[in-house]
Formats: sequence, structure tokens, C-alpha cells
Amino acid sequence: MLHVELVLQGLVNGSMYAVVAIGLTLIYGLLRILHVAHAGLYTLGAYITVLTTNATGSLALGILAAMLVVGLCGMLVYRLLYEPMLERPPYVALIASIGLFICMEESYRIVFGPYGSSFDMPRLGERIALGPISIAAADAAMLVGAIVLLTGLAMLMRRTRFGVAWRATVTDPAMARSFGIDTIKVRYVNFFIASVFAAAAGSLVAVLNNLVEPTMGSVPSYKSLAIIVLGGLGQVGGTLAAALLLGVIEAYGTIYAGAYLDRDAIAFIFLIVVLMIRPQGLFARGS
Amino acid sequence: MLELKGLTCGYGRFVAVRDLSFTVRRGEAMAVLGANGAGKTSTLMAIAGQVAVQSGAILFDGEDITALSPMARCARGLALAPEGRRLFRDLTVRENLVVGGYVRAARATAANMDKVLALFPRLEERLDNLAGSLSGGEQQMAAIGRAMMAEPRLLLIDEVSLGLMPKNVDICYEALDALRRAGLTIVLIEQSLERVLDMVDHVCVLESGSLAWAGTAADARGNPDVIRAYMGGVHG
Repeated sequence: MLHVELVLQGLVNGSMYAVVAIGLTLIYGLLRILHVAHAGLYTLGAYITVLTTNATGSLALGILAAMLVVGLCGMLVYRLLYEPMLERPPYVALIASIGLFICMEESYRIVFGPYGSSFDMPRLGERIALGPISIAAADAAMLVGAIVLLTGLAMLMRRTRFGVAWRATVTDPAMARSFGIDTIKVRYVNFFIASVFAAAAGSLVAVLNNLVEPTMGSVPSYKSLAIIVLGGLGQVGGTLAAALLLGVIEAYGTIYAGAYLDRDAIAFIFLIVVLMIRPQGLFARGS
Repeated sequence: MLELKGLTCGYGRFVAVRDLSFTVRRGEAMAVLGANGAGKTSTLMAIAGQVAVQSGAILFDGEDITALSPMARCARGLALAPEGRRLFRDLTVRENLVVGGYVRAARATAANMDKVLALFPRLEERLDNLAGSLSGGEQQMAAIGRAMMAEPRLLLIDEVSLGLMPKNVDICYEALDALRRAGLTIVLIEQSLERVLDMVDHVCVLESGSLAWAGTAADARGNPDVIRAYMGGVHG
């Protein structure tokens, strides 16, 4: 039973990593930009969820508001920050992104204070019994939320004309344009959806921890960058598998090596070892 | 239908084609010939909007399309089957065809796909395979099919037979001939002189980015000037 619970806990954490990292990989896949400020949008999503939920009493409204506002903010970041830099070398956008992320963290500290905010709702700690095992309601929400988002994304990309056009744009933007695909629109939609994913992850983590603080994006920021490398840069499927694998490794590591190492240290030792053996990532196609 | 007026195009400061003019009438097929580096592909890519025009004009059905985006040109009825095919390798053949027809209404996709499959029946069994897994011949069929999904009035096709087995070359040329007989205007680039002269009405030969010879396919056959320009001037 311990193993079932560990795997379940690993999948919960892994699904959070997956939702953040897939947003990041969508942006990298299309524009070859390492969007570090993605984690700043993740934090913004968490704040909007807490503030809206506390103001209205509706968690669903809080999450939806966060997804919408952060999605629009993501498009704004693309328009104001990245679009003017598309002709520059990739490290220029990377430096700008790191700068924006630091700026966002400090802005949250100034606006919301350094100590964090939490939900006023009393029911977040409930547990749901699934036969002999039980799972926290917040964990279940994380898992179900991730499944809904990832299934929705898969349906969009595989089953719709726009999704096929999106994937064609990722493969060869110039050819996609020559067949009438509006690649500029694809970029904006890409940033919107990736940012919606960041907001959803931030909202669900806020629910999970009942705490939102200005620096909550730091660990997901560098961990998700490592995950997209582990999954094979730009590979959505690989990113998903890498995120879930990392979640499960972390869950096991916390139990069996937790006395010696912090959870994040376990995750990074795993990532370093894997990347030393396969620097192109576990799921990269070709060499 | 297509008129180039003093077209000069290239990449940055490099001029690939200089002061090129020719006309292709509706329903005609024209071959653009020349040695490697003569400017054939640059000409085709400039017509499709993929290479910057430095001066001159491209008219399509009387409209100046020189400044239009590739997207807008596609919507007006220009479609490109480029050099190297450039299929979307991570998409299936079916998805490549869907992308080809993206500029047209979604409801037209199924009917247009049926037409493409009638032209190239071999693609039917490969519809759900990744384009990157196709043989060279199948890729050329898929590239022509993808272009046809856009319901073009002018098909631009680069290097029809390059790297293909003779049997696949036959299939591609039979399809192009059928399309031409159905009224489609075609501009193509080809290495195989004999093959292309059997199909086209007119020929223009480029040499070092400029027009070296233009005339009918019948006049081009056996013409020493054409052969000299086609071979890059090495024989004469």
C-alpha cells in the first residue's frame, strides 16, 4: 500500500510539474525561447486565485479568473518583450526573460507583502477515501485538473484544424505561412495557452499548500527548465513523461533518502545523473 | 495569368535573379531551366513570396502581388511544392494535406482530399503514416497533393524528378499532365530536359540569374543555345 500511495503522491507532484513544463515546452518548441518568466505568471495565477476566491467565495471563479487574466498577460509578455527580440540571438530573450521574472517576483513582494497569502475557505484539508487509500481533496484536484488540461491540449492539437496548423508552424513556419496559416496568430494562441497552463498550475499549488508567496515560482522555474531538457527540448510527450517520472522519483526519494537530502536536492541529483548519461534528454528524437 | 516584370530578387545584398521578365498564360505550363545557381529556385520562391523582391513586379491575374504575404498569395490561388518537398515531417500525410487546404473552408477538405487520392492512389494507404517516414517518391506525391489541397490556379513546383526512381517520376509527371489538361497553370523547375519538354508549352532558361533564352518547348528541343545555357555555358 505504501508503494501505491507513493506513486499517487508522485503523480500529483509530477502532474503539477507537467502542467508548468508543458507550457514552457510549447513556447520553446515554437520560438526557441527559454521563457523563465513563465514561473512569474505561475505565481500571478496563484495570487489571482487566492484574491478572487477570498473576495467571491468561489474557488472555481478564482481559478477561471486566474487562467483568463494570466493567459492575456502571457500574450502581452510576448508582444512587448519577445516579439521585438525575435531576430536577436536566443540568449537575448533568455536574459530579458530572467530580468522579467526577477521584476515580477519583486513586484509581488511590494504589492502583496513578503509573508504570503492564504485562502479563507475551511474545506481545503478534506480527504477523499478511495478504498483502502485516501487522498487529499487538493491532491485530487491537482491530478484531475492536470488530466483535464492535458487531455484538452491533446484534443486541440490532434483533432482540430487549428491544432494541426499549430504543429505545422512548429515544424516549418515558412512553409506553414505559404499555405495560409497565420503564424502570428499561432504565436499569440501559443502564449495564451502556455500561460493558462502556468496559471492553472499556480492555482492548484495554491490550493494544495494553502499558501501563496512572492518566491513560490523559483523552484518550479528551474525545475521545469530541467524537465523540458530531460523530456527532449520541444517534445510535449517527452516533457509529460519526464515530469511524471520526476514526481515519482521525488516521492520515493523523500521516503528512502529524505533523512539525508531535501526533496529538491533528490530531484536535481536525478536530473544531473540523467543528463550526464543522456544530455539530449530521455525522450529526444534522433541525436 | 502570371507576369514577371523586371524581377530582381535575392538574399540580403546578394542578388540571385536580375531583371527577369516573362509571362505565363492561363492553362499553360512553363519550365524554368538552368544550371545549378542560375536562379531558378529563387525565382519560384520570389513568386511564392518566400524570397524578398528587390525591384520589379509580380502580377497575378493582373493584380500586383509583389508586396503580398505568402499567406495572401495562397488565398489568391498560388500554391508551392518546394525543393526538397519540405513536408511537415512530424505530421501524418493526412495532416499535411489538411495544412495544404488550410486556406480553404474546412468543409472542402474531404472533397479535395478525395481528388488528391484519385491523383495519387498510393497515398491512401499512407495517410496515417508520418510524412518523414515516406519514400522520396511518396514525399513528392504528398508535396504535390498538399499544394493541390489549396485549390490553386497556379502551381509552382521545384525539381519534380530530383532523386526519384523512374517509376515515381512517371507517376508524378502523369499527375502533372492530368492537372495541366484540366486547366491548371503550372510553372516548374526541372533538371531532366527531355522529360520536361514533353510536358510544357514554354521554356525559359536562366543563366547567372538572368534570362538567357525563352521560347516554346518545340523550339527549345535540340536548340544549341538552350543546351549551352542549361549546361551552365561549359560547352560553348
